[in-house]
Amino acid sequence: MSCILVVFFALMILAAYRLSGMIQIFAIQSFVLGFVPFFMHADHLGLRDVALAVGTMILKGALVPYILFWAIRHVSMRSEVKPLIGFGMSVICGAVLIAGAFWVSSSLKLPGKVASDLLIPCSLSTVLLGFLLMVIRTKAVTQVLGYLVMENGIFLFALSLFDVMPILIEMGILLDIFVAVFIMAIVVNHINEEFEKTQGLDKRWAKMGESL
Amino acid sequence: MLALLIIIPFISALAMFLPVRKIFRLKLLCGVSLLHLIITASFWRTLPASEFNGYLVLDALGLILLSINSVLFLAVSVFMLGYFQHEQRRNKVLTACLCFLLSTITLVSVSYHLGLLWVAVETTTLFSAPLISFHRNQQTLEATWKYLLVCSVGIALALMGTFFMAIAAHNVQTLSLPVILSNAALLSKDWLKISVIFLFVGYGCKMGLAPTHTWKPEAYGQATGMVVVLMAGGLTQCSFLALARVAQICSKAGITDFYSSILIFSGVLSLAVPALFILGERSLKRAFAFSSIEHMGLLVLGLGLGGIGIFGALFHMINNAIAKIIMFLTAGSIAQKYGSSRIEDVRGIIRYYPVTGIFLILAFFAGTGMFPFATFHSELMILNSAVSTQHWIIVGVGLAAICVMFIGTGRIVLDMVYGPTTEPVLEKKENFFMNVSILAGIVVLMIIGLWMPAHLEKVIRAAALLVAGKG
Amino acid sequence: MRIIVFSIILHWLIVLGCSPLFVGIINRVKAVISGRRGPSIFQPYFDLFRLMQKQQIYSRTTTWVFRATPAIVLASMLCVALIVPFGKIAAPIRFSGDIILVAYILALARFFMIISALDTGYSMEGMGASREAFFSCLAELVLFMNFITLAILVKKVSLSQMIGSDVPLLWSTVGAVLIMVVVSFFVVLLTENCRIPIDDPETHLELTMIHEVMILDNSGVDLAYILYASAIKLFIFAAILVPIIIPFKTGILWSDMCVFFAGMTGLALLIGLVESGMARLKLNRVRNFLLIAFALAFFGFIVTLWRI
Repeated sequence: MSCILVVFFALMILAAYRLSGMIQIFAIQSFVLGFVPFFMHADHLGLRDVALAVGTMILKGALVPYILFWAIRHVSMRSEVKPLIGFGMSVICGAVLIAGAFWVSSSLKLPGKVASDLLIPCSLSTVLLGFLLMVIRTKAVTQVLGYLVMENGIFLFALSLFDVMPILIEMGILLDIFVAVFIMAIVVNHINEEFEKTQGLDKRWAKMGESL
Repeated sequence: MLALLIIIPFISALAMFLPVRKIFRLKLLCGVSLLHLIITASFWRTLPASEFNGYLVLDALGLILLSINSVLFLAVSVFMLGYFQHEQRRNKVLTACLCFLLSTITLVSVSYHLGLLWVAVETTTLFSAPLISFHRNQQTLEATWKYLLVCSVGIALALMGTFFMAIAAHNVQTLSLPVILSNAALLSKDWLKISVIFLFVGYGCKMGLAPTHTWKPEAYGQATGMVVVLMAGGLTQCSFLALARVAQICSKAGITDFYSSILIFSGVLSLAVPALFILGERSLKRAFAFSSIEHMGLLVLGLGLGGIGIFGALFHMINNAIAKIIMFLTAGSIAQKYGSSRIEDVRGIIRYYPVTGIFLILAFFAGTGMFPFATFHSELMILNSAVSTQHWIIVGVGLAAICVMFIGTGRIVLDMVYGPTTEPVLEKKENFFMNVSILAGIVVLMIIGLWMPAHLEKVIRAAALLVAGKG
Repeated sequence: MRIIVFSIILHWLIVLGCSPLFVGIINRVKAVISGRRGPSIFQPYFDLFRLMQKQQIYSRTTTWVFRATPAIVLASMLCVALIVPFGKIAAPIRFSGDIILVAYILALARFFMIISALDTGYSMEGMGASREAFFSCLAELVLFMNFITLAILVKKVSLSQMIGSDVPLLWSTVGAVLIMVVVSFFVVLLTENCRIPIDDPETHLELTMIHEVMILDNSGVDLAYILYASAIKLFIFAAILVPIIIPFKTGILWSDMCVFFAGMTGLALLIGLVESGMARLKLNRVRNFLLIAFALAFFGFIVTLWRI
C-alpha cells in the first residue's frame, strides 16, 4: 500500500510543473517511505525500524526539502521547469517504465519470507522514474530531485526487507545521502550565484544525463 | 590502531576550521600525512588486529591501497607548501576536505563489511567534490556538478547492488565480508549475478571506466593538480578496491567467468575510448585525464584476466598512483606558472623552467609506461596475461591503445616543452617544495621499476591470492 | 416481462427524479462555501420547468442535426441509465460486456453534441467541440482502463456484476488498486461532466468554455433536454462510483438503499468541495491532468495483473 503510494508520488513529481511543487511532493513521498517499516514489520516492531523511520522522516522529509528550498531561494518559487520532452509524454514514459519494472520483477523471486510481493517492483519502478526525471529535466535542482527519488526507491528495499545491515551502517547510508544533497545544494547555490539564475543546463549537461 | 588512523585526520580536519594562519594549516596537513605514513609503514611489518567486531580489518589488499594513499597525501601536502606561496585564495575548505578525504580513504581500505565499504566510498566522493571547485568559476562548477552527479548516481547503483547482495546472502543474514566469503556457496547465484552487475556499474562509474568516464576530462581538467593526484591515484583506486572485493566474492562463489567477462569487456572499452579522444586534445590536463581512463581500463582488464593479470593489476595500482603524482603535480605546477594548461598558452617550458620541463618529459614517460619506470612492468604483466590466455584481440587493442596514447600525449608534451616560447604569468623561478615532491615520485617509480623489493612482492602476491579466492 | 417493464420504469423514475437534485446539492455546497446562501437545492427542477415553457429559436444556418441532438442526447442518457444499477436496485438490462455499450452510448451522445455544435457554424462552438472531443477522448482511455481493472478483479464483464456484489470484499485485499481506480474514475467523472478543474460550468467567457459553449444556441425545451441529460450523466457516473467506494454491504435492501443514497449525497458534497477548493486548470494542463489520471489507472491495472 505505502509502496504503491511511493511510486505514485514519484509519478506526481514527474508531472509537477513547479520546482517548489516538486520538492513538496518529494517531502510527502519521503514521509510515506518513513511509514513503510511500520507496515512491513507491524508484528515485531524493533528499535531498528523505529529509528530508521524517524531518521528517514527527519532527514528526507524535512531537512532535505528545506535545503533544496534554500538552494533555489534566488529562483522565483513559481518558476516552471522546462522538460526536454513534454509533460504528457514524460508521464506516459513513466507509465511504460512502471510496466517494465513490474514485468522484470515478475522473473525475480525473492528467497525466503517477504513482507510484501509489491516491494521489488515498486522500488524498481521508483528507481526508474528517478532516472527518467534526471534525464528529461534539465535544471540542476530537478536532477538532484531525480537522484533523491532514485535513492528513495533503493531505500524501499533497505527499510523493509532485511536485517543484514546493522543500524549504524543504515544510518551512515542515510547520513551520506543527506550530506550528498547538502553538498549538491551548495554547488547548485554556487552555480546560481555564478550564473545569476539556475542555469537551465545547456545541451552538454542534458547529454550527461543520457550518458548514464 | 586502525580506528586511530581514521580519527586523527578527522580531528585535524575539524581543526582546519579554526581561525589559524594559512601556513599553519599546510604544516598541520604535512604533519598528519607524515604521521599517517609512519603508522601505515609500521603495518608492513605486521598487520594490525581487527577492530569493531571485525568491521575494520586490514588485509594485504587494503594495505596496498592504504600505503598508496599515505604516500600520495604526503607528496601532495609537501607540494602544497610550494603551491600556496603563489596562491592568494583561502585554504580552509581545501585542507579540511583533504583531511576528511584521508580519513575516509583509510576507512575504505580497512572496511570489511560491504555496507560500510559503500558508505566510505560515497563519503570520499562527497568530500572530493568541493576540492574540484577550488577555483570557483563557471567551468570548475560545471565540472564539479558533473562529477558529483555522475558519481552519486553511480554510487547509488552500487548501493542497489549492495542490497541485491544482501538478498543473495539471505541465508547468511549478513554482509560482513569474511562471513560471506566463507559461506559463498550458500549465496543465491541469480541474485549474486544481478548484484555483481550493479556493483560493477556503480563502482565503475566512480572509477571512470568507459562509457561513464565523461566526468573525468572535465573534473581533471578543471581541478588543481594536487587534487587531481588524489582523485586519479587515490579515489578511483578506492573503487577499484571495491571491485576487487567483488572479485573476491565471485571467485569464492564460483562465478568468476561471469564477472571476468564484464571486467574484460569494460577494460577493453576503457582502453579504446580514450585513445579515440586523445588525438584531438589541446589541453595537457585533459590529455592526462584520458591517460588515466586508460590506466583504469588496464587495472580492470588485469583483474578480469586473472592469473598473473591480477598481480599485474595490483602492482599497477601502486605504479599508477606514483605516476599520477609525477604527471599531475607537474601539470599543476605548470598550470600555476602559466595560468593555463592549454597548448596555445604553454610553450617552451624548458627555456624558463628547465627542471619542470624535464619533469614533464619524465611524467610523459611514466604515464605512457616507458622502460625505466615501473608502469612499464605492470602494463607488460597485464598484457602478458592476455597473451597467455590467448585473448589476441585484447592484446591487439591494448597495444594499439597504448601506442595511440603515446603519440597523442607526446604530441602535446613535446610541443609544450620545446615549442616556440610563450611568457609565463609567474616569476621565472623553480619552486623547491614542488620539485622535491615530484622528484621523490620519479625516484620511487624508477627504483620499483628497476628492482622490486622482496617484501613488496610478497604483499602483492598475498593480495593477489586473496582476490583469486585462494587466500 | 412485467417485472422488466416495472424495473425500467422504476429506474427512470429514480434517474429523472434524483438527478437534478444531485446538481442542486453541488450548487448549494459551492454557494455555502463561498459565503452565500445560494439557491434552494430544488432550483434545477424549477429551471428545467421554466425552460420547458419557453419558445425555441433556431438559427437559419442549422439543419435537422441541431434539432435532433437534444432528444438524442437525452434518450442516450436514459438508455445508459438502464444498464447501471443503482445500489441494490439491479439494472433492468444486463449482459456480459455491457460496459462497452455504456461507453459507446455515451460516445454517441457526445458525437451528436459535437456535430450539433459544429452545425451552428459559430466558431466558438467549433472550438468548444474540438476541446470536448480531445478531452473526452483521453477520459475514455482512463474509463476503459478502470473498467478493465475492475473486470479483472471481479472476473466479470457486466457492469451490474462489476460494481455490484463483489467489490466491497476487495477492499481488504487490493485496497490500493481500488483507491487508484476510485481516484482516476473521479477524474473521469469531473471531465465527462465538465466540472472544475477541467471546465467551469458557470463560466461566462466563451473562450474558456468547453461544454457550455457548445449549447449556446440551444433554447427552450432543447436546452432543458440537454441540461437534463447532463444532470443524468452526472448521476450515472456517481452511481457507478459510489458502490465502488462504499466498503461494506449490510445485506438488507432498505438499509443498503439508504447507504447508497447517503453515498450519493456525500459524493455531491465532495464534488462541491472540490469545485470550491480548486481553480480551473489552464487548458493546456488539462491534458496532463488526464494523463496523470491515466497513469494512475494504468498503474492500478499493472498492480492488478501482478496480484492476480
